Amino acid sequence: MKKLNYLKWLRVFLAAIIFIPIFLYFVDFRNYSPESWSHLLKIQLFPAILAGSIGVLVFQFILALLFGRLYCSVICPAGVFQDIINRIFCIGKKKKKGVRRFTYHKPNNVLRYSITGIVFVLALFGFLWLGMALDPYSNFGRIATNLFRPLAVWGNNFFADILAKADNYTLFHVSVSTVTTAGLIAGIVALLTFILMVVFRGRLFCNTLCPIGGLLSLISRYSFFRIAINKEKCISCGICEQTCKAEAINTQDFTVDTSRCVDCFNCVSSCKKGSINYTFKPFYKKEEKKTEESVLAYTAPEAVSNSRRSFLATGATVAATLPVISTVAHAATGEAQKEKVNPITPPGSLSLDRFKDKCTGCHICVVQCPSQVLRPAGLQFGLGYMLRPYVSYYDSYCNYECTVCADVCPNDAILGIDVEQKVTTQVGIAEFFLERCIVETENTDCGACSEHCPTQAVHMELYKEGSTLTVPVVEPDLCIGCGGCESICPVRPDRAIVIKANTVHQRVEKPAEEEAIEIQIDDFGF
Amino acid sequence: MKRRDFIKTSAIAGAALTLNFDGLQAALANNTMTVEAVPDLVAVMGGEPVEMLDKALEALGGIGNYIKKGQKVVIKPNIGWDRTPELAANTNPELIKSLVKKCLDAGASKVTVFDNTCDNWQKCYDSSGIAAAARDAGAVVMPANEEKYFKEVSLPRGVKLKSAKIHESLIEADAWINIPILKNHGGAKFSCAMKNMMGIVWDRRFFHSNDLQQCIADICTWDKKPVLNIVDAYRMMHQNGPQGKSAADVATIKTLIASPNIVAIDTAALGMFNQVKKLDLESVGHIGNGQSHNLGSTDLQKINIQRIRI
Repeated sequence: MKKLNYLKWLRVFLAAIIFIPIFLYFVDFRNYSPESWSHLLKIQLFPAILAGSIGVLVFQFILALLFGRLYCSVICPAGVFQDIINRIFCIGKKKKKGVRRFTYHKPNNVLRYSITGIVFVLALFGFLWLGMALDPYSNFGRIATNLFRPLAVWGNNFFADILAKADNYTLFHVSVSTVTTAGLIAGIVALLTFILMVVFRGRLFCNTLCPIGGLLSLISRYSFFRIAINKEKCISCGICEQTCKAEAINTQDFTVDTSRCVDCFNCVSSCKKGSINYTFKPFYKKEEKKTEESVLAYTAPEAVSNSRRSFLATGATVAATLPVISTVAHAATGEAQKEKVNPITPPGSLSLDRFKDKCTGCHICVVQCPSQVLRPAGLQFGLGYMLRPYVSYYDSYCNYECTVCADVCPNDAILGIDVEQKVTTQVGIAEFFLERCIVETENTDCGACSEHCPTQAVHMELYKEGSTLTVPVVEPDLCIGCGGCESICPVRPDRAIVIKANTVHQRVEKPAEEEAIEIQIDDFGF
Repeated sequence: MKRRDFIKTSAIAGAALTLNFDGLQAALANNTMTVEAVPDLVAVMGGEPVEMLDKALEALGGIGNYIKKGQKVVIKPNIGWDRTPELAANTNPELIKSLVKKCLDAGASKVTVFDNTCDNWQKCYDSSGIAAAARDAGAVVMPANEEKYFKEVSLPRGVKLKSAKIHESLIEADAWINIPILKNHGGAKFSCAMKNMMGIVWDRRFFHSNDLQQCIADICTWDKKPVLNIVDAYRMMHQNGPQGKSAADVATIKTLIASPNIVAIDTAALGMFNQVKKLDLESVGHIGNGQSHNLGSTDLQKINIQRIRI
């Protein structure tokens, strides 16, 4: 038994080397984290499914088939985060109230497979809202972005102020302007959900609500390596059952529900007799099944009938709810579209519709955007766009040659684009209102918009014959909608130049390279 | 050489006197000869940036005329844009490096460099090469990305701008040097020493919505004036300013101008600019407004100008 104890620590170690970078990547407010960490987001299952990363899917499938739901304890940041909540909850408590507070529960297969089924069928038809609400990775992202990151910034500012007194500006004051009410609410709801579920029922989220947990459980039922109780050695003390966060160990029947086991190996560590182990027990070894029928590691007949039943139930539920949901969704978006403007979607997202079909609102782009120009939407663009990032030119603009959001998006909701593509992608077009412009209303110079225009699509032309004033003129074919002009326009409440979103992004020409003329001056000129 | 030596000696003597005697004013008054010999404005042409800076400061009697021992000094370049030095949107980093060194050599207790940038400040500080150059030379590179780093100052002489939040390093400074780059500007028409003062302020939006040309002149009325303005016109952006699109916007005119007089230096720089692109003094309203504030004269005949060709 001692031999296998290292399993739990191996799990903890692996989880740490994946979770810590992901956590820092989300909390990072100084863009210090290396871009390569974004690969850790790209192996997350829900994003990989949306991005169609076959390689990742095959890898995860094999991993689950070999070892069970190791994903849930090692790779998924929400899973590890729940383990951390659990660990914190156990601090200072007696074992009975802390670590050993769980008991075996029957799986709620109808519910979990219905949810899994509905999520993926809806996603297939382009309705991502349920997946967005339940995807563990995105939920973790929303918690980290909207709750932990502001906390980190406050901490930073506190220390920055102390260091500044000694003329040290290695830390400097930062303000977070990307936390919106909607983002904050989403973060709090997710955090409370995790805390409540973990405290009362361990990994209940993973085994009922999580679509990825549901999906993986279908594979992990048949995993080669699995937790199993050695009936001969077991003294039925029940400790392993009480330590099982997945509530998957039934010490009465000596069974372990592999479909729910998340490979945390706490049971292996807890067993004083070494009678519960992680062993090689492939499903095709029929003879083992016969000889060790009591070791119902994968609860054969019941599980099969259960899954069949749940499959039928799922199908029926999906069939029944689909039309209703789509009508509701359509009604919501249709209604909203009447009155509101369209959101500007990040360059690389190609179109509003495509973006809505792909983005699950993990907010990593919001976090990583060096200009803090992306904000999680509330209801201003309708229910269909809620929590997705929109480009806000309220006090910032999209840096000309920056492609960070496209580089980090694990869902490919923002497709990877290079700088050349970025500077020719038109996400919207500047619209100028002369009647609001300072030059017209105050009769003074301004030109802030043109100053900030990287392509000079907004350039200054003579206002009136005989005047020294100039007014902005927009060249739509050069405008990429970066919002430099809108963000700096001093006119309030309605700005004199605003970007109107392209619901389908357009390609524009790069501003023509002018021939550099040789200028020689020999005189001072004064 | 003799005269220079004399100037140097008297400057050092003057500086030394400040350490020990209260009668500094009297001591300087005795040196009226040297004070008059220093030109009001020096323009250098045809050299490399640092070489021209050396010549200009030499003509002005050395950095010690402006920076005294033990002073807290601020150097304020233009670092407005995420652009490399070749594109001439920001002050030449070599100049900053050299100037920081000179100030420290002159005995400055601390030299701080900052600008309130337009593009993302870290990108500007990095791409311009200024942060690295200044740090190399021993300066403190201070952020100016948050309102917190700025403090309210009243501007009693301001016409439109009656008060402004100014960067705290300047408020604490004993002396500061304004070192802009000369360029075309879409809003103000022309960006040089006076326009560079806009980067010491937090709220630029106020300027744009309350008569930009007047506000630029108003901020220059702040009591703590730069002891020296140094205009980098080695490379000059003559169109598509202030950020520029490409190298085609840049003319290499290899010039540097230095003067304590901000209106005179901008007028002179405009003269330079006019050799490449036509621009009337009248349309660069802030220079005229500066003259109305008695910050200096646009009549360059009235001042003592030294022109140096390399």
